[in-house]
Amino acid sequence: MNRLRLNNAVIKYGEIIAVNGVSLCADAGEMIFITGANGSGKSTLMKGIAGLLPLTSGTLERTQRMSYVPQIEEADRNFPARVSEIVITGTQRPGKFFYTHDDKQQAQNAMNELGIMELAGREINALSGGQMRRVFLARALCGQPELLLLDEPCAGLDADSHKILFRVLRRVLSGGCAVVMVTHDISDVDGMPEAKIITLSDGVILNA
Amino acid sequence: MREVLELLSYPFVMRALTAGALISVCASVLGVILVLKHYALIGHGLSEIGFASLSISAALGLPVMLVSTPAIIIASFVIMFVSQKYKTSGDIAIAVASSFALALGVIAGRGANVSAYLFGSVLAVSQEDVIFAAVLSVIVLASFVVFYNRLFLITYNEDYARSLGINTLFYQFTISVLTALVVVLGMRIMGTLLISGVIILPALTAKNIASCFRSLVIVSGAVSFIAFTAGLALSFVFNLPAGAVIVMTNTAILIIVKVSVKK
Repeated sequence: MNRLRLNNAVIKYGEIIAVNGVSLCADAGEMIFITGANGSGKSTLMKGIAGLLPLTSGTLERTQRMSYVPQIEEADRNFPARVSEIVITGTQRPGKFFYTHDDKQQAQNAMNELGIMELAGREINALSGGQMRRVFLARALCGQPELLLLDEPCAGLDADSHKILFRVLRRVLSGGCAVVMVTHDISDVDGMPEAKIITLSDGVILNA
Repeated sequence: MREVLELLSYPFVMRALTAGALISVCASVLGVILVLKHYALIGHGLSEIGFASLSISAALGLPVMLVSTPAIIIASFVIMFVSQKYKTSGDIAIAVASSFALALGVIAGRGANVSAYLFGSVLAVSQEDVIFAAVLSVIVLASFVVFYNRLFLITYNEDYARSLGINTLFYQFTISVLTALVVVLGMRIMGTLLISGVIILPALTAKNIASCFRSLVIVSGAVSFIAFTAGLALSFVFNLPAGAVIVMTNTAILIIVKVSVKK
């Protein structure tokens, strides 16, 4: 079952072409790594897939049940919020305004799986970068996505957190979720030998 | 104290107290979102645009509310759009627009008596203002109850909300319209030059105390209510302009909290 189909996507910032004619497809249970140097267009491509940047041309078809984990630098760490409040926002959907008992249960399960249950009541300004990454991942998981987009989730993670991340990824993949993950560290790929690897350079796919 | 209680027997004081307290609470609650989203200057820009529209409507002999309300709503939406689209240059756009609007207001209103709107007047509060303030309060507070989870998400991370398929533009528009209405109603009492202080200062005070979004909204509303009632009472006792004393009270509370609370 197809979770993502991107066809000949072009994304421009003014006159600058950040993504140039990229096509990719992700089926249920499939994992794709997107690698490339800084400024190669990886994060722009992810934002295009997530619907945060409009495609200048090309087509995008994807499941509505998608979760996006942005880079940690995009987090406002001074926002007055507790970990559990951030995580449960992953269950929000258009037209749904209140959290149900199931939503709260999903958030607890996600925090348990990511090993951050003891942080549930902590303010986010007291978290380390690695803990914040786990919070974002828990938020994405509790939406029970069919397509998971991860932008540099491994940057700055310690060995334990890295192990937890890949354990979680294997679990969601076996449940039929497709995962697209941006990384600039090629060694991340070792944890998922069966994954597809795409290398971007100047917004163009070098291999497929 | 006896003087203050005696003042409560005057209908104009009760009108100012009721409408002002309701507007202050609404302003401070909306102020939480504006402060957290780094839109703090918007209230200031809107109030000066409000002054320009007031002056023009007074000079042309048109009903003030009829001209100011749509003008400020449109301006609020434009300012929010510009702030978001051009990030850093948004503040510059607000500064330019508000300076121009203030100058326009002074020129357009030179023949009309608009100075009361610059610094506000408790005498300007009509029975209709009280009704408008009550309706606005119900809308603002009900919006916060019904859309609390959504407002939390959009205020924290608008991009993430959009990635979930949520129409963030609708909420942004709602916040813009409600802020514009608070400015329209508030500038009659607090004054166009001072209403932005009532929007921003309580939220800044609450940020030093509150540990989560919910408590931030509640503390901001409470601080604003206390500052308004204390400020209004002090303005009567010392025969000073109400808007100025209310903003001074808000500022004093902010400084006291900032100094005494280590967060």
